[in-house]
Amino acid sequence: MIWGSRLAAAALYVIAAVIIGALVHFAIVLTIPLVAARDAYARLAELGPVLTTLPLPRADASGKAFPYSDPAVAGAFCRFDLTKGPIRVRAPIGRAGFSSLSFHSRRGAAFYAFTDRAATHGFMEAVIVTPKQLRALVAQEDEDNPSEDLRIASPTVEGFVLSRVFSELPGLYPAAEDQAKALSCAPEPPAK
Amino acid sequence: MTTILKAFLAALAGLALGLWATAALLADGGPFDVVSLGPWNVATRAGAIDADPYTRAALERSGEIPIALGEGLQMIARVDDAGRPLEPACVYRVGPHVPAARYWTLGVVDLKGFPIDNPAERHVFRSSEILRQPDGSFAIYVSGSAHAGNWLPVGRARRFALVLRLYDSPLSATAGGIEKAAAPQIVRESCA
Repeated sequence: MIWGSRLAAAALYVIAAVIIGALVHFAIVLTIPLVAARDAYARLAELGPVLTTLPLPRADASGKAFPYSDPAVAGAFCRFDLTKGPIRVRAPIGRAGFSSLSFHSRRGAAFYAFTDRAATHGFMEAVIVTPKQLRALVAQEDEDNPSEDLRIASPTVEGFVLSRVFSELPGLYPAAEDQAKALSCAPEPPAK
Repeated sequence: MTTILKAFLAALAGLALGLWATAALLADGGPFDVVSLGPWNVATRAGAIDADPYTRAALERSGEIPIALGEGLQMIARVDDAGRPLEPACVYRVGPHVPAARYWTLGVVDLKGFPIDNPAERHVFRSSEILRQPDGSFAIYVSGSAHAGNWLPVGRARRFALVLRLYDSPLSATAGGIEKAAAPQIVRESCA
């Protein structure tokens, strides 16, 4: 009888510990996005200012910033801030067999991406907007002469664009780097 | 008094349990949205904006910039075909085919996703540089000591992982529909 009640008391403590453990676990998983100071955006921010195209450090044994980066792919990025208006992004297609643009939110997740297959006139080009700016652009558009821009609505005001260029051979990496760095990000002039 | 002590111990145990469970679950990128193809794990929604909280938390903690669904697909293997952890003392044969893609690369990384220093300074093989059989099949040998043919060195790491990246693969859009047969085998040939 005494053993039974002791066992019940012990089980109660174990159940309490498991419940506390579960609460701690869910609390951490859900708060990491709010407090992560070393996420991809923060690591990119250490490399240079907003709206500046900067090379992504090459993935080798010395670089420890961006895990699972491909050493065969050269990268360049620019961070954007849509507070003052849309941002136009443009990357030329070069000789590389594969290149792409990916658009990432402040939290690092990609909200859009396309490859050189979607390029027109030798460029991959898009305008990043907030959902509100997108509505304004659509509202003031000339219906007989619609814009040919690819408009991409960003879920966050800040974020970054990454240009990836594949090097088919190790010796072509510098050329891929140059092509990646040709990414340009510029504020769109206000509509007249 | 002892009740308070016991309750305190239970709370402490719960806290430890919660922290341990969180670290364990996030270490491999979170438990959800992962498709297994033999030894390969594919985080099908890793780069997506609507990924689950575990995938997002793992991403933000690591600083990884994921390959977006529109660009390609990344597959990670930490074990061989028989389910044994990859060891630098063994020789692994990877091949003979990979899922369809414009280009692919096979790289060796440590368990945090960074390339491993090695005297040959080779961290990755590209689909465009490997030696192939006349029928298009290939074998890449992953080992600590030099090997004839396509040799991918693993350096001095105690443990390592293999990363297969498919660029512009028709699979990317329908990651759920990948067939196991399409993924390359990882066969342990011999161990020193």
